[in-house]
Amino acid sequence: MAATLTGSNTKLRDDLIRLLGTERVMDSTLERHLYAKDAGVYIGNPTVVVMIETTEEVAQVVRAARHHGVPIVARGAGTGLSAGAVPEVGGVVLVTTRMNRIEEIDAENHTAWVGPGVINLDLSRATTPFGMHFAPDPSSQSACTVGGNIACNSGGPHCLSEGSTVNHILALEVVTDTGDVMIVGGGAPDPIGLDLRGILVGSEGTLGIVTRALVKLTPNPPDVRTMAVAFPDIEDAAATVSGIIAAGLIPAALEMMDQLMMQAIENWLHAGLPVEAGALLLAEVTGVTEAVEAEAEIITRIAHGNNALSVQVAVSPQEREILWKSRKSAFGAVAQAAPDYYLHDTVVPRTRLVEAMRQVYEIGQRYQITMMNVFHAGDGNLHPLMAFDASEPGRLDEVKAAADELVEICVEKGGVLSGEHGIGIEKRHLMPLLFTEMDLDAQARVKEAFDAGGVFNPGKVLPEGSRCFDFGRPVPEGAWV
Amino acid sequence: MGYQTPYAPTRSELSSCIQCGLCLPHCPTFRLTGKETDSPRGRLTAMTAVLDGVTGIDEVFTETISFCLGCRACEPVCPSMVPYGRTLEGARAEIAAQKGGAARRLRGWIMETWLGSPAIMRVITWATAMVQHTGLARIAPRRVRSGLRGLRHIGWRTASLRGRSFEPERAPVATVGLLTGCIMGPWFAEVHQASIALLVRAGYRVVVPSGQTCCGALAAHDGAADGAARLAVRNAAAFRAVDYVVANAAGCSAHLKDYHHWAPGDTLGEGWQVRDITELAAEAVEDGRLPRLEEGRGVVALQHPCHLRNAQRIITQPRVILEAAGYQTTDIDPVCCGAAGFYSILRPDTSARLGRDKADEIGRTGATLVASANPGCEMQLRSHLAGEYRVLHPVELYMQALSDAPEGQA
Ligand SMILES: Cc1cc2nc3c(=O)[nH]c(=O)nc-3n(C[C@H](O)[C@H](O)[C@H](O)COP(=O)(O)OP(=O)(O)OC[C@H]3O[C@@H](n4cnc5c(N)ncnc54)[C@H](O)[C@@H]3O)c2cc1C
Ligand code: SF4
Ligand code: SF4
Repeated sequence: MAATLTGSNTKLRDDLIRLLGTERVMDSTLERHLYAKDAGVYIGNPTVVVMIETTEEVAQVVRAARHHGVPIVARGAGTGLSAGAVPEVGGVVLVTTRMNRIEEIDAENHTAWVGPGVINLDLSRATTPFGMHFAPDPSSQSACTVGGNIACNSGGPHCLSEGSTVNHILALEVVTDTGDVMIVGGGAPDPIGLDLRGILVGSEGTLGIVTRALVKLTPNPPDVRTMAVAFPDIEDAAATVSGIIAAGLIPAALEMMDQLMMQAIENWLHAGLPVEAGALLLAEVTGVTEAVEAEAEIITRIAHGNNALSVQVAVSPQEREILWKSRKSAFGAVAQAAPDYYLHDTVVPRTRLVEAMRQVYEIGQRYQITMMNVFHAGDGNLHPLMAFDASEPGRLDEVKAAADELVEICVEKGGVLSGEHGIGIEKRHLMPLLFTEMDLDAQARVKEAFDAGGVFNPGKVLPEGSRCFDFGRPVPEGAWV
Repeated sequence: MGYQTPYAPTRSELSSCIQCGLCLPHCPTFRLTGKETDSPRGRLTAMTAVLDGVTGIDEVFTETISFCLGCRACEPVCPSMVPYGRTLEGARAEIAAQKGGAARRLRGWIMETWLGSPAIMRVITWATAMVQHTGLARIAPRRVRSGLRGLRHIGWRTASLRGRSFEPERAPVATVGLLTGCIMGPWFAEVHQASIALLVRAGYRVVVPSGQTCCGALAAHDGAADGAARLAVRNAAAFRAVDYVVANAAGCSAHLKDYHHWAPGDTLGEGWQVRDITELAAEAVEDGRLPRLEEGRGVVALQHPCHLRNAQRIITQPRVILEAAGYQTTDIDPVCCGAAGFYSILRPDTSARLGRDKADEIGRTGATLVASANPGCEMQLRSHLAGEYRVLHPVELYMQALSDAPEGQA
């Protein structure tokens, strides 16, 4: 078996060069190093990197990789945070950034066929003239690809009302482990047969390579109100969130950040955030003008009932844009506090937000790690950010230990492991916290059904030993295990 | 292995990149190839790899760093405020120091001694004028021809401004020292004239120190670091007595503002203050020191030079000036036009591709008048725009409008 996939693999490289030409096959030390990690903290070791342009090329690369017993790791923009695109055990890194064509926009049916390398925000920009957008809006949307969004089932601030990526994908063209091309799903909202599309979305590149997607486009709302509400502390902000939901409103977005986070953002963006306040709540309501005005008023009232210090309503599109920009640049702004950061992503039931937050700060204090917080308050999706310096010996391990504690407290409270960033390598070892052996075995069997040879992103998502009953299954020729 | 010069990218500069990837879509070279090696994040990671000894300064590293336009579009979008432009200069200095062949050394020498010498600039100007006036341009090689197309009409001789000073009518607001630059003096004489007239009108005393030399930006961007540092030291001395150093080429003002990268110790002195002319002009319009003229002069397409927008975050000022001149402005997408200093000579294909894109975009605006506050961009735009286009500095457009204005208004 190709157990030593470190360093380059000349035969495989030569085959790939025959298929793609030298410009699209990279295997020098430096090139491999630049594809060794995503935006998270784990580092892998690519064998070779290929730039793909067509579905047929993907199929050929899959066959070549199988032939040489080398796994394939798909990569979009590499903004993932859970090491999904990190070739942990070596392999072909298959880069989709050149498959970035928006093939056709069907304005009447609100759909579009797009390549996996299309940048999320580019898609929304291209559909603006039709009065539509692609609803999933991760904070990384200016950079991340639709393929990455699909693989991670990514969410964003507006998923509170619109749902995550899976709700916006109608069909996928996928290259399978045999190098065949299949289409799953279709234009109908509920295609007949087993819903393979639902299985593929969120599978983090472990079941196949997405080469095209039929996405659902969402009409732009007729009117919007975006409000920035300052509070003395997180508790008041959280109480306001509960109050808003209890009043029967489902705002388009409800986002919160704490004081440290606000300060870091303000330092870079000069957006005029209320940095003296303990917490900031961003609330957005969409709909017809009468409705948004009424809802904005209710939110203002609830906020004042919970000690709000100030309520600012964005009037112009520019004001709205700068508020969202401040929210979406939060992660990057942390680096001003320390050279490295570890961004976490867990979920707690909204009702237990405040106690979870207290524990987050407590863990930070115990480990002496600066914790900054920004989160999708509407659905209890926490993103504690730990700023640290990885060059201090042992620091990274402490941070990882603190991160595990964070997940544990969230799961204890009835939450889940990951809100939107996926499992990848990062949270694989924590899967048993949430799933029984039977659960994990069921998932491992799905993986096996799609990719018996383990050619796609091996080792990701499911912890080793997930498959309980695999007695002496024959391993196909050339398979990588 | 590793770095060898004092200019090298430092650990703290490099570690401020958290690899979030938010800069990727803003990078023109990444947009062209989709490769990590051609992205800001990739380049920073590559610089770190050399620092850590993962790799040396090899061919791949050199290509990665040379392909960069130095447009710094990656800087304003970086929430972690990575000083990319500084690290790039450092990486180029290292490549030059470790891999500098004869060609590179020659280039470095030319950039320091020729650009720094008014006499040599006069000879080059004379030769260029000769080519322009005699029609020799038609038989020049293609690369040179397209460059020549970008030039303004060059006079045989321009009177030197060095050593002169210009007084405002009333007590001066401040004394500013005008950088005449290497090629700006003879090739963009009209821009200097307009700049001086505008500054004097806005109440500044303008001096043109005679000890000054080329700002050193071209040398710095090409890795000729020691030369760039020597030019910086000379200018620091020449401009000692002014309140502000002012430049009317975005590339120069950006570089002058970064002199602390180059000038050792306290060479710059406490009061080293640099302004681009567009900053002073817009300020004067807003303070009422320059009049707002009647509207209706038509539409001008406003190009945002990278070294104005990305390096100095000067975004609204050129518009303020043009609107005060009576123009309506339409913005051109701020992607690098591909001029990028010597880039257009070193990598003509990429440069031409970006230049053509920019020309197409200007075409779509419908405007035939284009404003650019950087001579390099101006030449690139002119050489790619076919037809009846005029490309001028915003300050020139303002001064033209002012001289056209009826008595009472001006
Ligand atoms: C600053 C910042 C903010 C972020 N904010 C959010 C947020 O708000 N919400 C959120 O959900 N995430 C967020 N993320 C995480 C990340 O941006 C998303 O997971 C995004 O969808 C990843 O897209 P990508 O193109 O960068 O994918 P990559 O990182 O390149 O890959 C991610 C995964 O997708 C797989 N993959 C990529 N393309 C394909 C394909 N064509 N076929 C099969 N598998 C494929 C890879 O193998 C990998 O497992 C953020 C990240 C950063 C750095
Ligand atoms: S340079 Fe800035 S924006 Fe780009 S990856 Fe690094 S931190 Fe992110
Ligand atoms: S300076 Fe321009 S070309 Fe170079 S990395 Fe930054 S954005 Fe890309």
